Amino acid sequence: MNTPIQEMPPTGGFKPIRYKRFLPKKGPSGLTLAVSITSIMAYGFYRVMEGRRETFELQREKLWGRIYLVPFLQAETDRDVYRRTRAQEEREAWAMQGVPNWKVGESAPAYKATKRHIPTNTEVDWL
Amino acid sequence: MSNTPNDPFLSEKDHIEPAPMPSDVPPVDELGATSAPLASAAYYLGPACQEYTEDYMLCRSQTGADPAKCLKEGRRVTRCAASVLSQLKENCGKQFEAHWKCLSNRNYQYEKCRTEERPLNSCVFDKMKIEKIIPQANPNEEPVHLKKNPIFS
Repeated sequence: MNTPIQEMPPTGGFKPIRYKRFLPKKGPSGLTLAVSITSIMAYGFYRVMEGRRETFELQREKLWGRIYLVPFLQAETDRDVYRRTRAQEEREAWAMQGVPNWKVGESAPAYKATKRHIPTNTEVDWL
Repeated sequence: MSNTPNDPFLSEKDHIEPAPMPSDVPPVDELGATSAPLASAAYYLGPACQEYTEDYMLCRSQTGADPAKCLKEGRRVTRCAASVLSQLKENCGKQFEAHWKCLSNRNYQYEKCRTEERPLNSCVFDKMKIEKIIPQANPNEEPVHLKKNPIFS
């Protein structure tokens, strides 16, 4: 009687099945990552804040550098405006001589201005 | 300045007035300094001439900014500035020139010229007794021009 031929396990049995994951360890843990990223961001925002504060101070420095210069520039401008106004008035007096009841600088104002204003080119330097 | 009536930026032709200053106004030499030396010396000119500049600006505000009425105060202001500038050139000429040339090259940014500014500040403080102080700054904080490790430089 023929015994049936049946496939049998290899001698010594099967090798154990590798069902566990064998992934190599990659990088730091999640907690480490979270902590380190948070601290880096915190430092960055701190620097940004410091930088903004410093920007305000630099703006203040620039502003006061200009404020300090205003009187010196204004004095020079005032003198220039005064010189031009006087010359213009002299010119007007020469042009309107002999006209009765003519007041230099008042009879023909370029603008109907009640308050004193900075004279423009039209008023001072039209010749 | 922006309020100059003959601002060349706004005019299409040259507004040259050849007439000299009338002889009844005492003459004063204009500063003749360009923007870079003025920007460099601003923090010394301001405190050094404070009484004259305050007097002048007060006069201006009280007379409604009439140029004819504050000429005397204006002359004092200009003379004070001229004397301070000449003192600056005499005492700290080298540092002053280095600083204003740096300012001129770096678009008038004070923070870009700290290396030139520090010797100028110390020289002016030693010889002319003027200290650079930024008004209205927070007194608890380090002044921005004295910071050792500034963020913007």
